[in-house]
Amino acid sequence: MTLDWWGLGLQAINVLILVWLLSRVFWRPVAGAITRRQQAAQAMLDEGKTAQAKADAALAEVAEARAGIASERDAILVEAKAAADTVAKATLKDAQTKADSLIAAARTAIDRDRNTARKENAKRATELSVEIAARLLGRFNTPAVQATFLAQLVEAISGLSASDRVALIASADDIEIITATNPEDSERAKIERAVKDALDGTPNVRLVTDPSLIAGLELHSGHFVLHNSWRADLETILKEVENAA
Amino acid sequence: MNSPLDSTVLFQIGPVSITQAIVTTWAIMAILVIGAFALTRRLDLRPTRRQAALELMVATLDTQITETTGAVPTPYRGFIGTLFLFILVANWSSLVPGLDPPTAQLETDAALAVLVFMSVIWFGIRAGGVGGWLKTFAAPNPVMIPLNILQNLTRVFSMFVRLFGNVMSGVFVIGIVASLAGLLVPIPLMALDLLTGLVQAYIFAVLAMVFITSAVEDGTPKTDLPLKKKES
Repeated sequence: MTLDWWGLGLQAINVLILVWLLSRVFWRPVAGAITRRQQAAQAMLDEGKTAQAKADAALAEVAEARAGIASERDAILVEAKAAADTVAKATLKDAQTKADSLIAAARTAIDRDRNTARKENAKRATELSVEIAARLLGRFNTPAVQATFLAQLVEAISGLSASDRVALIASADDIEIITATNPEDSERAKIERAVKDALDGTPNVRLVTDPSLIAGLELHSGHFVLHNSWRADLETILKEVENAA
Repeated sequence: MNSPLDSTVLFQIGPVSITQAIVTTWAIMAILVIGAFALTRRLDLRPTRRQAALELMVATLDTQITETTGAVPTPYRGFIGTLFLFILVANWSSLVPGLDPPTAQLETDAALAVLVFMSVIWFGIRAGGVGGWLKTFAAPNPVMIPLNILQNLTRVFSMFVRLFGNVMSGVFVIGIVASLAGLLVPIPLMALDLLTGLVQAYIFAVLAMVFITSAVEDGTPKTDLPLKKKES
């Protein structure tokens, strides 16, 4: 067994050439492909991280904007609440003013109605009093009262001026003597004679019965009325009371 | 039956005898280079099954280099990977009828061992300079210089002898059994020879890597890190 040194050297050169060739055509290209893929993957990872960072930043921005919106909303709510309070206060004040004016108007109306009612009540009370007085006085329509009224009528006629009595006698109309009750003939004649005597003439006298007179004697002609009865007195009292109220 | 230790000279180029092992080596080189060129023509970011298989092979080699030595695989990938591929294909070329594997010849294995020896020197000097490489012989102390020199020679010699002995013996045994028992009987032995060829290629590549890394690590100047003061 011998060692061929030329063969050894040639084989060494062959293997060296193989090492060089395979490094060129196999190991480096494949390792380069692996490296490129790793770099691409790393680039994608970096890109993903960048996108993640951008997304995080956008999320933070959105969160900040949301917080800003929330604070702005709170501020708007506070402002709206203040405005609503102001409006409510103004409305309340306005309503209070209106209510006060309404109350004042109502009080005025109540006072007016009260006064009106009081006046109405007073008027009705007066009327009722007059009516009661008329009924009571109706019970006292005695011959003595009637004689007193006749005397007062004669006195009133006598108190007229002469020209008035002449005009009354010269009147074309009949002179009506109004009585509350229908007097008897003697009484009727007495009344007619007393009136004619007071007038100092002979006018046409006609007696008319009017129960609303209560008591008394009144003289009515076409243009002349001489009141002399309790009805006239009560009407005078009623007018005076109403005027006093 | 010819002795497997004898080289069959096919022709002569000057003083160089071109043996069958050399021609087979050229054929293996051609197959590997053309095959590698054909396989790596179109490499893309989206790998095909073929590209994925190639990348798996390279990644596995890188992993083996890293796990074995702890070093970055890039400077050693081409040399170690080519050694492994060549030895593997050369060992398995015995399956071709009438063909003896180049690794069954002394010259091929010796050439591989010489290349490993030279690569140890080359990577050692490149890592730590000539001084750093020479200092590796004085580790751990100068007394060990003769032993380290002897170790550098003997370990390479042992690689050469181991590869040669295993491959040659396989071919020898198969040849004997085939001549004695017939055509089909050596098949189990040939299958065993496949395994032996794979294991021997792996061992040769790993040992080469270990030797290279040993020279690189021993020759690299070590820096003394300053002690950090504990902040109180």
